[in-house]
Amino acid sequence: MSELALLQNYLLIGALLFGLGLTGFLVRRNLIVMFLCAEMMLQGISVSLVAWGRYHDDWGGQMLVVFILAVAACEAGIALALILMLRQRSGSLDIVAWQQLREEGQARYVDREVPEEREEPPQWPRLTPAGIEPPWDPDEALHRSHV
Amino acid sequence: MFEPQTLLVLIPALPLAACLVTVVLGPHVLRDSSHWPTVLGLVGSLVLSLMLVASWQQRLEVRGAPAELLVTCWSWVDVAGAYRQAPAPPSPTGVAVQPGGLRDLRVDVVLRADALTAIMLVMVTFVSTLVGIYSIGYMRGDRGYWRFFACISLFVFSMTMLVSVSNFLLVYVFWEAVGVCSYLLIGFWYQKPEAAAAGKKAFLVNRVGDVGFALAIFLIWITYGTLNFHDSPGVDGVLGQARLSGALGYVGGGVGLAICLCLLLGACGKSAQFPLHVWLPDAMEGPTPVSALIHAATMVTAGVYLVTRCAPLFTVSPEAQLVVASIGGFTALLAALMALTQFDLKRILAYSTISQLGYMFLALGTGTLAGITAGMFHLFTHAFFKALLFLGAGSVMHAMGHVIDMRRFGGLRRVLPVTHVTFAVGCLALAGVFPLSGFWSKDAILASVHERAHQLDHELAHRQPQPGAAAGHTTPDRPASDRVVAGVDSHARWDAGREGGSGPALSTGQLRQHARVYRGLYWVGLGTAFLTAIYTFRAFFLTFYGRERIPHEAGEHAHESPRSMVIPLVILAVGAAVVGGWLTGTGGFARLLAETPSLTLATIRESAGAGGFHYDIAVASSVAALVGIGLAAFLYLGHDREIELLTWLLDGRWLKGLAERPWGARLAGMPLVAAIRRGADAAGLGSLARLLGNLVLLLILLLISPLLIGYYVSPYRLSRDKFFLDEIYAVLVVWPLRATAAVCDAADRWLVDGLVNVLGRIPVWAGGLMRALQMGLVPFYGLAMLLGILTLIAARVLWGAG
Amino acid sequence: MNQPLLLLWAEEASRWAGRAGGAWHFLVSPGGRATAAALVGAAGIWWMLPGGRRLGRWFGCGLAAAGLVILASLLPGLGSPLAQTGFWLVAGLTLAAAAATVCTKNPVYCAIWLAVTLLGTAGLFLLQGAQFLGVATVVVYAGAIVVTFLFILMLAQPAGHAYYDRISWGRVPAALAALTALALVVTTVHAVALLGGAAAAGPRTPAEGLDAGARIAGPTALARGEDVLHPDHMARLGGQLFSRHLIAVEVAGTMLLVALVGAISIASQPSRGREGMGTR
Repeated sequence: MSELALLQNYLLIGALLFGLGLTGFLVRRNLIVMFLCAEMMLQGISVSLVAWGRYHDDWGGQMLVVFILAVAACEAGIALALILMLRQRSGSLDIVAWQQLREEGQARYVDREVPEEREEPPQWPRLTPAGIEPPWDPDEALHRSHV
Repeated sequence: MFEPQTLLVLIPALPLAACLVTVVLGPHVLRDSSHWPTVLGLVGSLVLSLMLVASWQQRLEVRGAPAELLVTCWSWVDVAGAYRQAPAPPSPTGVAVQPGGLRDLRVDVVLRADALTAIMLVMVTFVSTLVGIYSIGYMRGDRGYWRFFACISLFVFSMTMLVSVSNFLLVYVFWEAVGVCSYLLIGFWYQKPEAAAAGKKAFLVNRVGDVGFALAIFLIWITYGTLNFHDSPGVDGVLGQARLSGALGYVGGGVGLAICLCLLLGACGKSAQFPLHVWLPDAMEGPTPVSALIHAATMVTAGVYLVTRCAPLFTVSPEAQLVVASIGGFTALLAALMALTQFDLKRILAYSTISQLGYMFLALGTGTLAGITAGMFHLFTHAFFKALLFLGAGSVMHAMGHVIDMRRFGGLRRVLPVTHVTFAVGCLALAGVFPLSGFWSKDAILASVHERAHQLDHELAHRQPQPGAAAGHTTPDRPASDRVVAGVDSHARWDAGREGGSGPALSTGQLRQHARVYRGLYWVGLGTAFLTAIYTFRAFFLTFYGRERIPHEAGEHAHESPRSMVIPLVILAVGAAVVGGWLTGTGGFARLLAETPSLTLATIRESAGAGGFHYDIAVASSVAALVGIGLAAFLYLGHDREIELLTWLLDGRWLKGLAERPWGARLAGMPLVAAIRRGADAAGLGSLARLLGNLVLLLILLLISPLLIGYYVSPYRLSRDKFFLDEIYAVLVVWPLRATAAVCDAADRWLVDGLVNVLGRIPVWAGGLMRALQMGLVPFYGLAMLLGILTLIAARVLWGAG
Repeated sequence: MNQPLLLLWAEEASRWAGRAGGAWHFLVSPGGRATAAALVGAAGIWWMLPGGRRLGRWFGCGLAAAGLVILASLLPGLGSPLAQTGFWLVAGLTLAAAAATVCTKNPVYCAIWLAVTLLGTAGLFLLQGAQFLGVATVVVYAGAIVVTFLFILMLAQPAGHAYYDRISWGRVPAALAALTALALVVTTVHAVALLGGAAAAGPRTPAEGLDAGARIAGPTALARGEDVLHPDHMARLGGQLFSRHLIAVEVAGTMLLVALVGAISIASQPSRGREGMGTR
């Protein structure tokens, strides 16, 4: 196995993971999802680090990943506490709700159109039909005997 | 006791010190006692001036004493090699050209005392002192009490320096200084819009004259190479011995004429001659002591002083002298005509001042020693009686609660007895009644003009029998050429024997013209004397005689003025009565003035003698004055016949009937005309006859049109509206200036300020753009961070080394 | 060696430009393929992000997969087919789960997909020979952290899809930015291959890997001789951790304590916050 090839492969995966995490962080508006994407970025970095560590035969790569793990855990704890607080204050998990840092005279950013949530047609349970159909009386059908 | 040099320096220094003390201590410390520094300073200056004159008399008795005294205070400008002069061949102007063409610029503050200066100083300080004492009573209780006295002492400082300095540039400096003081004092009650406007008008009209003065200074600099009056080592002053004795002489021709006319323009501005006289009547908005001091006795005489000082420059340009005399005479007549119909007592006196100044210019325009002496003598006596009249008017105003419209008060001789008597003395002096001072000075003026005309006639007669070149003199029958050297140079000197030289050669035609003009000016002067008497006594009778009327503004004030105001009146009355006769009788004034170095110029000295008393002229002027007084008495003494008689006559009321009657219809209604028409109709020529009839009517209308115009622009209205000169100036000068100023203002506001504002808005706009980036959205901040990092990384990866 | 990469890329592009079929040759060349992969993948991701149409999501999925395939063609082979297949499977799983994390609307699903991504990453660690990390990722990350996320989600998330999960702000700039980032990384990776790996073909032993590493990283690794791939992995890792990084371990422990206390103190504020808001 070519060490260099291995390195290249894993580096690419790490880069892709990082890129995806970055995109998600920038695009998503839910605070928790943003944080999840940040965790994804950290994972990408971890993959790269381990790859470099193996390539250079250095324990430092894996050590750093261990510490990244620890730090990520702390970070997650505090961040979630903060997210809870933010949710208490603004009533939603939307990051766009926090616009106090805008300049004086700037209008508040308001979403232009929110795609409607397509209502899924209610799935009614399908029941087996019960009972027997009564016989059809042509006479009765033609000349009703009672009202 | 004091050295004359010290006196010369102290005389302006005392009022300056008084001004500074008043400014510093006046507002809070002295307050109602702010008059003490000024009055003490002025009295000190007066005493020192009298001592100067006395010491001068002593000096003159010593043979060989120099006629002028120089005191160098300090060097104001001293630049060696200041500019380069194009090398010129050695010229008779005697310019000190250093090798290489570099010339120094040196202006020293040099005070120069000669007889003329001494006389002016005495007059200025004397009148200033009396006006200062008068103002103590007049301005009592005014809010700007200290400011008034500070300005008065500053003015006296400027005026004394003006007559003392020995350099044209410095004269200009103090010329402007007196103008500034005049502005400050006219607009003394600055909250009154008319006063502020009058101050501005005075200053601006003076400015127009100052342009002339500045041009004259430039021309003198170019022609004579120096602006000093006195001689200094290496440089011959304009009025220095070298020039006056004839070694260098003066430049005539076009340049000389230009210099003299520009000087005249400056003098007209300051001395309120036509066409720059419009500011003086409006300057009456200032307090009356100011009018008495500045606009009667001192500032307005600065122009006369200038012309007298530059008399040698005028002698080489007879045309300029003629212009001076003409303007003087014309202004005298014009102002007298305007004064006939004014209702404001102070305005009458203002026009009277303009008129009397015209007399002085008329006298100076003759160019003879007699004329110049007469002009200065009239200036001297005029200071007395005009100041007296103004202070008397002030007394009346003070009593009448600042009402000065003569239509609102009358018969004040019992209410203001002392003012009545002193005012009478002043009026008699102004009218020129024997034996008051005005008589002597006015007589001297008329005599000098008459003499001049006479002299020119003699010249003409002298020339007639010998046309063309004659032995003894080369007098080409053409105008004088440039750069003629006057003086003892025999080429251009008049071989006129006992009548003496009179400057460069004049052609016969010019001689005749000049003679005619001077003779006409003599009659103008005589007529103006008649008018002077009329308007003066009109004012007198309207104010002090007739039914006693006191306006309601007078309130408690309708009594004689306090002692501080009355005593100067009495002193001036005594002076006005006595000074003229005394000085003429002893001849002291003429003798003293004749010692002025400027007037020792040969051409002036040997011109028409200040000769004896001219009885015929004296009789003529006295008759004119008495007839005028009589006419005024007839019209105004005790009754107000002016409205009925004069307006009927001069206002064209009698034309009213003419203009209004339906002449056309009456003519047409006459039987003869009707008969003609019927006949024409019968003959079939009806329309033609009617046309002819209309043509005849039109012809009659054209013939009487001057009278109709006269109805609308009657002489009375012309006189009362100051010949519409103010309105003409407003249209010709003020309106275009205002339009230009509006254009400039609009350009400044919209173009310049607009450009600056646009430039200023650009950062704001750019900031607005940048501000839009700060949306407060966290994803955007993240994106911005990412973009920044990407840029750095991209730069490093793509373009970095390895 | 020191030529700027952009010039290399441009040189490569210009080599094929102006020739018949030059565009196809350029696309086929590594630089072209990298560009195409980046573009296609980015377009796919963009299509998938919330705010797009439902049909578009599957189309975007396809695009992203295509981009991934093109990218895969760039990578050098790993030698043995077993390693290659294993790598592709695990990597594919990871990337697909990552894309799903980013693009799903329901945040709970996002968390689940993240757990899957973490499983994939753990697999990648195991393939690299970092056993401890692989296990630790699953235990700590997927087992504790993601579960915590889910707890908080359940606490805070409103029922159904919230409106802010259905839209995204700044899709285009974000996609472009990520694309650029990726392009840079890919270019760098490719350039490493171009520049540093002249002798990269062929299987190499770990010793040769050492040499290569030494050539690039310097003599320190050679001096250390740590041997990451030693069978005694845990012991070595423990040894390294508690000898060279002892202080960091202690600090990490303290940091965990601090984070715990901090989280509690922050999260216990609501009573104060509510009171504050009430009095205002």
